[in-house]
Amino acid sequence: MVADAKWSAGRLIRQRSLRTPVILLVILLVIAAFHGPHLFTSDGLAGGLVGAAPLMLATLAMTPIAIAGPAGVDLSIGPAMTLINIAIVMGLPEIGLSSPLAVFACAIGLGVLLQVVMGTLIAVLRVSTVVVTLAVYLVLDGMNSVILPQSGGTAPDWLASWGSASTIFSLVLYVPLAAFVLWALVSRTTFFRNIRLMGANDRTAFVSGIPLIPTRIGAHVVAGVFVGIASVMYTGLIGSADPTAGTPYTLSAVTALIIGGASLGGGHAKGLGSVLGAIDIWLISYVLSTFNFGLDASYWVQFTTGAVLVASLIAGGLLTGSSRPRLARWRKRRGGQAEPGVS
Amino acid sequence: MRAIVGQHGSSVMASVVLLALVVFGAVSIDGFWSLINLRSSLVFASFLGVATVGQTLCALIGGLDLSIPFVVGAANVGLVKLLNDGLPSPVGIVVVFVLGALIGAFNGVLSHRLRGQSLVVTLGVGNAVLGLIQILVSSGGNSGISGGTIQGAVPQWLQSFATANHTVGIAPAVILWAALAALNIVLLRRTWLGRSLYALGGNRVAADRVQISGPWTWTLVFAASGVTAAMTGVLLLGYTGSGYAGVGDPYLFTTIAAVLIGGTSLVGGRGGYGLTVLGVLILTVLQTILSGYSLSSSAQEAILGLLIIPAVALYARSPHPRMQI
Repeated sequence: MVADAKWSAGRLIRQRSLRTPVILLVILLVIAAFHGPHLFTSDGLAGGLVGAAPLMLATLAMTPIAIAGPAGVDLSIGPAMTLINIAIVMGLPEIGLSSPLAVFACAIGLGVLLQVVMGTLIAVLRVSTVVVTLAVYLVLDGMNSVILPQSGGTAPDWLASWGSASTIFSLVLYVPLAAFVLWALVSRTTFFRNIRLMGANDRTAFVSGIPLIPTRIGAHVVAGVFVGIASVMYTGLIGSADPTAGTPYTLSAVTALIIGGASLGGGHAKGLGSVLGAIDIWLISYVLSTFNFGLDASYWVQFTTGAVLVASLIAGGLLTGSSRPRLARWRKRRGGQAEPGVS
Repeated sequence: MRAIVGQHGSSVMASVVLLALVVFGAVSIDGFWSLINLRSSLVFASFLGVATVGQTLCALIGGLDLSIPFVVGAANVGLVKLLNDGLPSPVGIVVVFVLGALIGAFNGVLSHRLRGQSLVVTLGVGNAVLGLIQILVSSGGNSGISGGTIQGAVPQWLQSFATANHTVGIAPAVILWAALAALNIVLLRRTWLGRSLYALGGNRVAADRVQISGPWTWTLVFAASGVTAAMTGVLLLGYTGSGYAGVGDPYLFTTIAAVLIGGTSLVGGRGGYGLTVLGVLILTVLQTILSGYSLSSSAQEAILGLLIIPAVALYARSPHPRMQI
């Protein structure tokens, strides 16, 4: 009985976690419909997909780490995408490789390698995720500017043509779709359920016989695959190599993750929520660009992104009771209300 | 190993590292001991030191304040705007400090309510604040902001704050930092409030049982962090002479790095400002040495990142779940 009630409460919370990103999406789409209807043309949709895809995949990459918790924020993702971008554009052609297979293999390989290193440090040394990913952020961000002081180079032709896609029925659509299918499959495995259990309560997971170190590193491997795909999409978007342009993805992806309803306590985060959160972030900058802020545009984007992040945190905290003490209080209150009826 | 390192391990270790770096710098770099270099290094250290007061306090209660660089930038730009609007400089500085405290207090209230999410709360609040300040300042027409930079008449006394050309030989900014550090160490060690930070960081439930108010302490600590960040912004304005919204950017990670390298744990409950002073000095000496070897700021950043993990692996590892059952 008790377990039953717990599960229904859990399901309720998980559904409610999508409320914030969906409401925000509807509001933004309505504003866009009136103020920037160009979005709803074939051209506009293709541009939107090209622009939003890197962030969608980057946020998806952060999701398993957030689930593995506690405080599982991968701060390194922006510089990591930049490094892979440089490797694709500057490194691969030097050894004569530019085929799609080579590019994806290199990107996913590098992404997984970076994540496995971080995952091992986090799991084996038991240093917090924030500290390790912060250190890796600094190392990679510094390294990127040393390797490539100035932006340059051009992406392989097949990849660069993505950026100018005028219809959504192209690789720009198929690659993210394939990534979502991959996510849907992975997130239904027993292994992924173990990540969730570990994130929700690592002591319970340990007592249940879940091997904590391989499970945590495994969460990072999943993340690494999506970091790789995100980097390929990002390279398609900018069409060249740039030592700093990818760095802001850290902030955008964290924001998208939180708007998507992920709880940094661990255990709760949905792929669908993360993708919706990423679309929201992209739509915010699209909608703002339809107003004539001129030189102030970047300030408005910064202000709105920050404000939406705070607002969704407040809304998330109030609507879903994402923190355990709130949940406990809510249960107690429910218990308290039930008592008079019993007596 | 752990027994040897013990309670004073971090301070001993940090002191040894600092000493080794100083010796290495003195031997390998010309002019390391020159008065000019020492003075300018200390001034740089004082900017970072003032900003890390808040980060240390937040780390002690188990939080993290990522809004520091944004508040530094906002205070820097905002004060120029206030001065351009004709406000006397002391009044303008007080206004900036009060706003910093309010922003910090908001961070604290929200971070305490949404446990464990201070990182994202402060990131969101920081971006909102800096974006808003830039929008407000840029609407001022002629005295407005362009490319994040704003010109204005910075008073002479504020500019002289960061320079060491005085009879004492030490810049007032350094004296301010020393005073703040002393105040902090005494506050943390000798007062009820200071000890309650450690109690809260160590165990929230236990702190609650001995009547330490979580919400109140979190609000106070983050408000203090807002004030010290604003203070850094004002000091930097005196140093550079013009407002720049991105002036705080390096402080996002260097404040955390100084806290970690000193030996204060981000989990909360262990450490202190004395350790952070050592961390700040280590970072500053390291920076001087790396610059002496003419490494670019990017390369310096990468080396700083490589330093953090070993430092944390020595002191701030969380216990195995088997120990927590």
